[in-house]
Amino acid sequence: MASHMAQGVAPEMPDRNGDPGSLDELRQIIIGPELRDLDRLRARLDDPQVRAEELSQIVAEAIALRSRHDRAVLRALQPTVEEAIRIAVQRDPSFIADSLYPIIGQAVRKAVASALRGMVESLNHILERSFSYESLKWRFEALRTGKSFGEIALMRSLRFRVEQTFLIHRETGLLLGHVAASKAVVQDTDLVSSMLTAVQDFVRDSFTETKREELGTMEVGEYTVWIAHGPHALLAAVISGTPPPDLRAFLERTLERIHAQFGAALQSFSGDASVINGAPLLQSCLLGSQAVKAKRSYRMAYVLLSVLGLLLVAITAYAIRQAHRWNRYVARLRSEPGIVLTSAESHWTYYSIVGLRDPLSADPDELLQQSGIDPAKVDSRWEPYSSLDSAFSNARALLSGKDVIEQQVIRFGLNTAKLDPPELAKLDTVQSQLFSLQRQASNESHKVTLQIIGHTDRTGQELANKLLSQKRAEAVMTALLERGIPASMIVAAGVGASRPAQFQSDTYLEDLNRRVTFRVSLPPLRKNR
Amino acid sequence: MMQKKICMVGAFGVGKTSLVSRFVHSIFSEKYLTTVGVKIDKKQLPIDGEEVTLMLWDLAGKDAITEIKTEHLRGASGYVLVADGTRADTLPSAVYLQGIAAHATADAPFTLVINKSDLREQWELTEADIDKVKARNWTVILSSAKTGDAVEQLFVDLATRMLRKGHGQ
Repeated sequence: MASHMAQGVAPEMPDRNGDPGSLDELRQIIIGPELRDLDRLRARLDDPQVRAEELSQIVAEAIALRSRHDRAVLRALQPTVEEAIRIAVQRDPSFIADSLYPIIGQAVRKAVASALRGMVESLNHILERSFSYESLKWRFEALRTGKSFGEIALMRSLRFRVEQTFLIHRETGLLLGHVAASKAVVQDTDLVSSMLTAVQDFVRDSFTETKREELGTMEVGEYTVWIAHGPHALLAAVISGTPPPDLRAFLERTLERIHAQFGAALQSFSGDASVINGAPLLQSCLLGSQAVKAKRSYRMAYVLLSVLGLLLVAITAYAIRQAHRWNRYVARLRSEPGIVLTSAESHWTYYSIVGLRDPLSADPDELLQQSGIDPAKVDSRWEPYSSLDSAFSNARALLSGKDVIEQQVIRFGLNTAKLDPPELAKLDTVQSQLFSLQRQASNESHKVTLQIIGHTDRTGQELANKLLSQKRAEAVMTALLERGIPASMIVAAGVGASRPAQFQSDTYLEDLNRRVTFRVSLPPLRKNR
Repeated sequence: MMQKKICMVGAFGVGKTSLVSRFVHSIFSEKYLTTVGVKIDKKQLPIDGEEVTLMLWDLAGKDAITEIKTEHLRGASGYVLVADGTRADTLPSAVYLQGIAAHATADAPFTLVINKSDLREQWELTEADIDKVKARNWTVILSSAKTGDAVEQLFVDLATRMLRKGHGQ
């Protein structure tokens, strides 16, 4: 064993014997290159700078290689990356926000679009149950265009118009561009632009916690202002009516395009807006139908309402006038002597009236015609009766006296005007009746007049007959004058054979045509009341 | 057309709004100042042969120890510091506000206006006070919103310096 060891250390023996230099030399000769390698390797392992440099050359490949096998690298890196992002957000949130801006818009739009699609579908369900004229029209349009029914309904229900768009520099609030629809109300756009920015600051400062949220919507009366926000500029749209949600996405997309097109100019903007020509893009935002439909339909409704109102007024006025006329007619009838109303009713389309009427009273039909009421609309039923009113009893007495006189016929013989004694007796009756008539009628005697009419038979010449009839009438008049009747009351006339009492060609009956008849005219009865 | 934003900065009651209304005919009512905290006016001026639109942001001074909303200062190309000659405490306020404004506007040009030059006999500020601020190399103008003295000159001068700085960049 000892000999074995002695053999093992044999090469170092000379060094121990006091010749180190030659031994070193020997060592250099034998293991020199290995020693240098060792030194280099030691340096590589000890120096972090060198290690880092070496590692940097392979780290990407190493991660890639490892990632092909498992997800250990990802898991290991995750907390670090998260922490790094957290620090970055804390330090300058706008940096991350600006970086995400181009993609976040798209992502949000996608989410909103899918949410909207869901809404449209549920709307479909609701609307499919309703069957109005409008919905049928939409249904037809959906069939025609191949769109879903809900989509059409949503599109047709919303009426809006983008009236103005403002492109505003975010930092300074200065106006970069403005376009307006032809009839929009436009204020000083520079001031509006600045003020809008100030209001945004105010709202953000007053109502938000983080002071980073943006004012997206303002509503003023019928106008809605929608504001899309970009890192360097805002796009504000003034909209009338109810804008569809798609419009907001459109505004955001437009603002993104403006940023893409004028990004550098926006960033270095120093007050010269002419370098940013966003007008064509702003113009493209002036969407919507020319007028808000709801407004127009209101106007139609107003017209319709006022026509209906006028019609109502006219009908009412007519009804009031008719009722007034009817009431006046009924009052007139009630005040009329000899007429007793038992009922007077007014119905929707006609009137009915029932009552008692003295034949001597005023004629209700005549009064009706004077009243202005359509007689065809009045259903009248009159029962006759005798009124005890003094005017009517008086009139009745006069009429019966008149009848008595007019029934008297004075007969004559053939071709003579001589009065026989029996006929003279009849004249006494006429005389007494006439006097009583006159007493009853009035104090004024001339109001009652007696017409004495002489007649002949139908034989003989006409002229002779005329003369004979005249003589007969005068004979009767003379006799009456003798009996004290004033001449002013009497008129005598002969009518020949023109008014025969009998028409038969019978000799005996022809005798009856030779006569004198009487006609009494009374003063108007109404005035005798 | 060039547009520039100018802010009016100063303690409460020093006459910022009066200076602006001396310079332009206001459209918005002063109510905006107390509600929104800012009132904006517009003035067009020819500066160095170029037509410039100045948007004047009149920031409400809340109280004597003034506090202002720095977001309103953002993007301003210049600002006007206003102090009241009859109230000595308004000058330190202006100096304090200048520090805030300089930071918010990235050292934009500005002018210190000492208002109420028409009431010189009632001034609390002395020549020495004014010399002290002048020593900071500030542009100082004595002005009167009441008589209109030096108001136009103030805005023209500031706008000219703003434009020159803008062109220099």
